[in-house]
Amino acid sequence: MKKAMIFVLIVLLAVPSILVAGGTGENGAKSVKIGFIGPMTGDNANYGVLCNQAVKLALSEINAAGGINGIQIELITEDSEGSVEKGLSAIEKLSSSDKIVALVGPVFTGISFAVGARCQDEGLVMVTPSATHKEITAIGDCVFRTVVSDGLQGEVAGAYFAQALGYRNIAVLYTKNDYSQGLYEGMKTSFEANGGKIGVVETCQVGDKDFKTQLTKIKAASPDAIYIPNYTAEMAQILEQASQLGMTIPFLSGDGFSNPDIYNLAGAFCDGVVYVAPTQVEESTAYVDFVNKYAATYGVKPDSFATNAYDATRIVADALATVYKNTGKFDRADVRDAVAATKDFPGVAGVVNFAENGDLIAYQGVYKVNGTTPEYLGAYSVIDGKLTKVN
Amino acid sequence: MVNFFLLILIYTGIYSLMAIGQNVITGYAGMLSLCQAGFFAIGSYVTAILCVDCGWNFFATLPIAALLSALVGVLIGLPTLRLKGDYLAIATLGLGEIIRNVINNWDSLTNGPMGIQRIPKPSILGITINPYNKLGYLLMVVIFVLVFYLILKRLADSRMGRALEAIREDEIAAGSMGINVTKYKVFSFAIGAACAGVAGSLQTCFSLSVTPGTYTFMVSVMVLCMVVLGGMGNFKASILGAFLIQLISYFPQLVGLSNAFPAQVKQILFGLILIVMMIYRPQGIMGRSRRTYRWAGGKTKDSRFLARLAEKLKPGKSKEASK
Amino acid sequence: MGSVSEFFQHFLNGLTLGGIYALIALGYTMVYGILKFINFAHGDILMVGAYIGLFVFDFLRGSTPLGPWWFFAFLLAMICSMVACGLLGMFIEKIAYKPLRKATRLAPLLSAIGVSFVLSNTAAWVFGTQSRKLEYPFDNTPIVIGSGLNGVSVTPHQILVLCASAVMMIVLKLFVDKTRMGKAMRATSLDQDTSKLMGIKSDHVISLTFAIGSALAACGGMLIALDFKVYATMGTMVGLKAFVAAVVGGIGNISGAMLGGLLLGLLETFGVAVLGIPQGYKDAIAFGVLILILLFKPDGLLGKNEKEKV
Repeated sequence: MKKAMIFVLIVLLAVPSILVAGGTGENGAKSVKIGFIGPMTGDNANYGVLCNQAVKLALSEINAAGGINGIQIELITEDSEGSVEKGLSAIEKLSSSDKIVALVGPVFTGISFAVGARCQDEGLVMVTPSATHKEITAIGDCVFRTVVSDGLQGEVAGAYFAQALGYRNIAVLYTKNDYSQGLYEGMKTSFEANGGKIGVVETCQVGDKDFKTQLTKIKAASPDAIYIPNYTAEMAQILEQASQLGMTIPFLSGDGFSNPDIYNLAGAFCDGVVYVAPTQVEESTAYVDFVNKYAATYGVKPDSFATNAYDATRIVADALATVYKNTGKFDRADVRDAVAATKDFPGVAGVVNFAENGDLIAYQGVYKVNGTTPEYLGAYSVIDGKLTKVN
Repeated sequence: MVNFFLLILIYTGIYSLMAIGQNVITGYAGMLSLCQAGFFAIGSYVTAILCVDCGWNFFATLPIAALLSALVGVLIGLPTLRLKGDYLAIATLGLGEIIRNVINNWDSLTNGPMGIQRIPKPSILGITINPYNKLGYLLMVVIFVLVFYLILKRLADSRMGRALEAIREDEIAAGSMGINVTKYKVFSFAIGAACAGVAGSLQTCFSLSVTPGTYTFMVSVMVLCMVVLGGMGNFKASILGAFLIQLISYFPQLVGLSNAFPAQVKQILFGLILIVMMIYRPQGIMGRSRRTYRWAGGKTKDSRFLARLAEKLKPGKSKEASK
Repeated sequence: MGSVSEFFQHFLNGLTLGGIYALIALGYTMVYGILKFINFAHGDILMVGAYIGLFVFDFLRGSTPLGPWWFFAFLLAMICSMVACGLLGMFIEKIAYKPLRKATRLAPLLSAIGVSFVLSNTAAWVFGTQSRKLEYPFDNTPIVIGSGLNGVSVTPHQILVLCASAVMMIVLKLFVDKTRMGKAMRATSLDQDTSKLMGIKSDHVISLTFAIGSALAACGGMLIALDFKVYATMGTMVGLKAFVAAVVGGIGNISGAMLGGLLLGLLETFGVAVLGIPQGYKDAIAFGVLILILLFKPDGLLGKNEKEKV
């Protein structure tokens, strides 16, 4: 028994070392590696899978076009399972075993904090497509994002609800997770600054399916509208159960609503929902092309986070190309500098520029669902406390 | 590669602490508790809150984390430990979930779902321990595991260990022999909780951030599996179990195949291992090291009698085992 | 707490939530009553049942518009799903639990956790991680009593869930109390060895118990999926709550499962809505009730009091 166990242990330890020894070196070789971390299993794996597919799509296009001077970009995907512990082991593996030169992800805020600190320590550039917490980019100069922060999205949302829609009293039903609570806090600040009042505030837990208790309470308070900045699984339930309770109060939401899955789950109940999400470039065909290609490859449409992930990957690839052209190798510090130097990058979700701290500088798009198709109402920004439509 | 393996060892160390705590509760006292994740969370948050909000040194928070976990263990142990078997499992599972719910909803203290970030790196005697330096951190974790292993081993060999084993084998008989069943059960629960609390502190100090999403009941189940896989009632076996389960969990990443097959395959494999293990070797890899009373220069008549009795019983025992 | 209508709405919400718990608790109580172990995989069999039902139903209804055919197709799908899950339950019992019948109590519990892992992750792998919608096979427009703010609404689906759990409870109770097979089940539950001596094929009885329990899970899974959608982890939390309900009612007792389920649903709803317990502690209500009940009435509300023998 003991001998057998020792043998098994030796095999377990030997196999990886052989595999790694057989792999290609990181520099000057035929491929260069970048990493992706996101929830590929677990309750909100949907968001991770959509983003991962976008990264793969971007890389397959770049590699098909010859990569970087013939060097292929290889993607290593690691599953965070939605937990910090697994996220940390994922970045450790990507950074020390795979020797990646850049990271796209992580998808969720909580994990982004832990992984971001690690990336900062390693001097590894990290571009997250979806971690919206306002403090994420304060980790350090290696952390960037292609999504706007809660603060900015909430600012536009609050101003739009108060100034454009004229609501004075709205109820909120948010999930107790980092994403929903962040959006709620961002919106609250802005909405109250605009003279509005947040009436009933109800919460729910991740994985809840029955929202009738909260909705019944909200119904009794009869607010002007209900803000539900959650993930699709919760929003679909809320919309359907609200209709079952005979509620006719309008619903408002955030960028989680851009996930097309909502229309499969909630169908006609989505009609009339107004939500704030990243802008679309109306005049160029880039966005439409991307959506069509994505849908043709994977059978589903991308959500706004996947769109951001696609842009993030292309920005990273661009930076790699620049670095390779200048230095002939892929140095992590150079890659970081190249990402930071990104200027007016033509992303499919709009022109990408990073602020000094790594935040995305962008306007916010407002959408209204008409039947089961979102109608783009235009891009907005808040200038001196006033909601302004921009082009 | 080496770094990643060190990381697995660090996690093994942290989980080992939880597993040897669980071993006191399940292996010795025979109580099926599924609450380690809750105590793990308490330890993590105590360290995080004291370090960030009160500016405490990490090492100063350790005893608080252990004590508070043990206290909560006693508080919830007193009413629930009267329950038996599966009922206890469900009740403790519920308690673990309640602890996580409280952490997730008590925003003013725990910062709710946002978690606590940017926890300072620990330092002792002017030396900063950098968790990114894997070897150094591993050394610290190993020292903790060793210390707890020795303490618990001593406890298990003492009157307390024997009392717990008696309770496990037959609660009513143990009670009638004058063993205070409730006291020992609650005590073992508190010890197990304290171990998990310290493990939580170490986890916080390693990840330098805490979020409530980490402490799901899957953690409790994993820890229980470690104890069972290794072999119940044996601290070394629990540590081996912790190592094996961590190795299985990270095996695809370790051999660089995590890209090759879908993420779920690992967990399917894990489930299959559990089933196969239970069918073919339910006593775990190292089995249970049954206490045999050998004559060890004891002075009393009783100890000599016990030694003779043990010798007599031995061949019978081995025959039974080979059956 | 506002108007009377709000109170009634909360009451209805709680009752239907309770109906859902009761529906699953029946299957739990059945298996636990005979075998005395927590079938952790019960919730995952429920999920498999919902997936099978979803595929068969979508295939049968094709692109036809909503009509009586949908309801008929739904029933057909439910029968398919119940048969398939019954077989799956028997298979799981044979592979994972039967070899452990003489082992310690911990072994089958861990084996069940293993089965649960395999089922839910295989589903996530094969069917993907997104939720899928199971269409209502009937017009689910809510029936509103009263109007406007004073209206109390109830959907046909809510009524269906309550009726289904009541019917299931009665059928199950008649089966266990009145039939020969039911008698054999009760005998096996009391004492396996003695019942074997009396000529009862206890292996068959246990196998059949699993088949029935799993079929009930499949039926419950499809009814729940109408409201809660179909996804790989759909059975986990609701399964756990259902187990709590079964224990509260007195595990092994069929009417107890129903009572426990309804009670739990009502307590959760009113705890949040009336007593003002923060919504985040909703799960704490369920487990708090469980601990209280077990302390003061260790065999549950309707359970028989069994003295422990030395």
